[in-house]
Amino acid sequence: MDEHSVDVETTGRNVDGEVPATEPDAVTDDATVHDDDVQLERTIGLGGGLAIGVGTMIGAGIFVFPGLAADEAGLAATLSFAIGGLIALLVALPTSELATAMPRSGGGYYFISRGMGTAYGAIVGLGLWLGLMFASAFYLVGLGHYASAVLAELGVGLPFDPVIAIGLLFGAALTALSIGGTENTAKLQNAVVGILLVVLTGFLTYGVLDAVGVFGRSSAPEEFFSRGFFPVLETAALVFTSYLGFAQVATVAGEIKKPGRNLPLAMVGSVLVVTVFYVVTIFVATSAFGADRLGEFGETAMVEVARDLLGLPGAVAILGAGLLATFSSANASILSASRAVYALSRDALLPRKASEVNLRYGTPHVALLAAGGPILVLVATGETEVLAEVASFLHLVMYGLMCVALIVLRRRNPDWYDPSFRVPGYPVVPAVGALASFALIVFMGFWSVVIGSVVMLAAYLWYRYYAADVILKGDV
Amino acid sequence: MSDRPSVLVPLRVLEGESVPEGVPDLLANAHVVLLGYHVVPEQTAPGQARMQFEDRARERLDDYETLFEDAGATVERRLVFTHEGQKTIDRTIEEHDCLAVLVPNATAAVDDVLVAVRGAVGIDRLARVVAGVFSETEASVTLYHVADDDETDEDAETLFDGMQNRLADLGMDASRVETRVERETDALDAIVDAADEFDVVVMGETDPSLSTFVFGMPSDQVADRFLGPVLVVQRESPKDTRE
Repeated sequence: MDEHSVDVETTGRNVDGEVPATEPDAVTDDATVHDDDVQLERTIGLGGGLAIGVGTMIGAGIFVFPGLAADEAGLAATLSFAIGGLIALLVALPTSELATAMPRSGGGYYFISRGMGTAYGAIVGLGLWLGLMFASAFYLVGLGHYASAVLAELGVGLPFDPVIAIGLLFGAALTALSIGGTENTAKLQNAVVGILLVVLTGFLTYGVLDAVGVFGRSSAPEEFFSRGFFPVLETAALVFTSYLGFAQVATVAGEIKKPGRNLPLAMVGSVLVVTVFYVVTIFVATSAFGADRLGEFGETAMVEVARDLLGLPGAVAILGAGLLATFSSANASILSASRAVYALSRDALLPRKASEVNLRYGTPHVALLAAGGPILVLVATGETEVLAEVASFLHLVMYGLMCVALIVLRRRNPDWYDPSFRVPGYPVVPAVGALASFALIVFMGFWSVVIGSVVMLAAYLWYRYYAADVILKGDV
Repeated sequence: MSDRPSVLVPLRVLEGESVPEGVPDLLANAHVVLLGYHVVPEQTAPGQARMQFEDRARERLDDYETLFEDAGATVERRLVFTHEGQKTIDRTIEEHDCLAVLVPNATAAVDDVLVAVRGAVGIDRLARVVAGVFSETEASVTLYHVADDDETDEDAETLFDGMQNRLADLGMDASRVETRVERETDALDAIVDAADEFDVVVMGETDPSLSTFVFGMPSDQVADRFLGPVLVVQRESPKDTRE
């Protein structure tokens, strides 16, 4: 049996006098083992891992961004998505190595706190939690746009703009659903992702054939860099939110079966799959309309693309798919956010009460509410781009630090660090991954950077106040 | 380890499942693998449930462990937090190489045991469980076989002979073993009907097939309908032949 221990001593107390929970004695393919006879079963297989990654990513990237991205970067938005995918891959590989060495709940937060110390961990962990909230809010606003488009398609006229109202409604419903203990959420997620991929594959195949002139229409002639080079990078920074899903896989690393094999496959695999889908989608979308008109359509541009290609049935299919996709993205992010709260309270960076499990439903109601409540506030702003960028910002900081943590761990090479997957091209890949992650931040909007920085500063101050004595760093 | 057969006793330890009356005595000669498990919904990390419930679950398992040990069994225990109870049970069976799983129901003192014998396959494991658990007791054992239409009485006799020889090899007193053949279309109904007169049922697992997928394992169905404890002898795991 593949078994190795995570030899990390945690010490210290937080303001409430709580100490970090003990670290496990060993990690096997099927369980995390504490004190010899207490085990935490691993139940998520490769399919489930891929579904979390792909399901989170595909919703935002394909259904919300094409219009926004084309508006900023023209046809070259295709390149923006490719750049985003490349950076995601450069980070997914080091993340995979860290995850196979430390397959524990919390993902990036866990790796960084054990590799680089509590302060970094706190910034990243609280940042991850808040970042997931921003991401969920962004997905929910996207969902609101899609649901409004459905209403418009049905001819239902409302006296007010329903986007935010619907986003709030679904946000509240998802939180309630999670607390109420819906069974089989994972199976539902797998099915949703499967349906999505089938619909998209059919749609995109038709779209590509159409774009290259098979059906006798000439595609809109378009200059590739119609907006210049700089917007390509700005757009890459914006759409990077599309690629946050692989990190969500790491937040449930403690529940993945055969982590040494399945974690790298799920993370790298889902990044590759969605990159291909994104690039083809943007290509099809910009070919159908040209960037200018696509930009005018905004968040639901894909519906117009589908209508143009396949008529009303196409529009209906994409509307349905968009609803499902944004729904599954939001759902996965809320669940990941509650995992992040669990990891933080396990390590005494948040009160233990925050991860308390509800006796009636067996669900972590405090953590879910702590995620769901602020999400609603963020949804109410309705600022799609800022929400997406702040989420990207907070994740990019984590990604950059994960790459640094990998380099630190490899250089010190402590006894317990024994990953079963090793990143190819060390040290170039993690170094470039770190630089690219930090560099992408430079291209973000001013307010996104300000909000993201304030969140990080607040996270640091919280740590200094609440858990300054807690030491989580492994023996490096 | 001795020739005590290892028997898994799974309990949903935090949901009020406990060791029923009579079960510790039933397994007095076995090596009991006591599995306390708690199933959490997918929204909850198993570790989260552990932080909150570990102490309570441990206390209960301590009590049950004492019950089995006082009865004379050797005990090994596990406490698992999981999303899928069945996966946990299957894995524990494999890791601890359990010969049988107990479906716990209360029982009085065990006087007679019904052993459903299906075919020659798996007979060795069946015999090891029966001999291991019951050879030191006073209980009488009835080997029970539901024959197919194209099966003669001689065929059934051969089957029983094999089983009886194996039991005798394992030190079981032959005078306590009886045999019974039944001809009925539905083996399952036959076993459940016959079981009424007995205190305990021992039966094998069936190979998974479409009908077990639709209707569930026959052993589960028997366990549902029979009021006493059922010992389900496990198939040999494919892992044993590997390596």
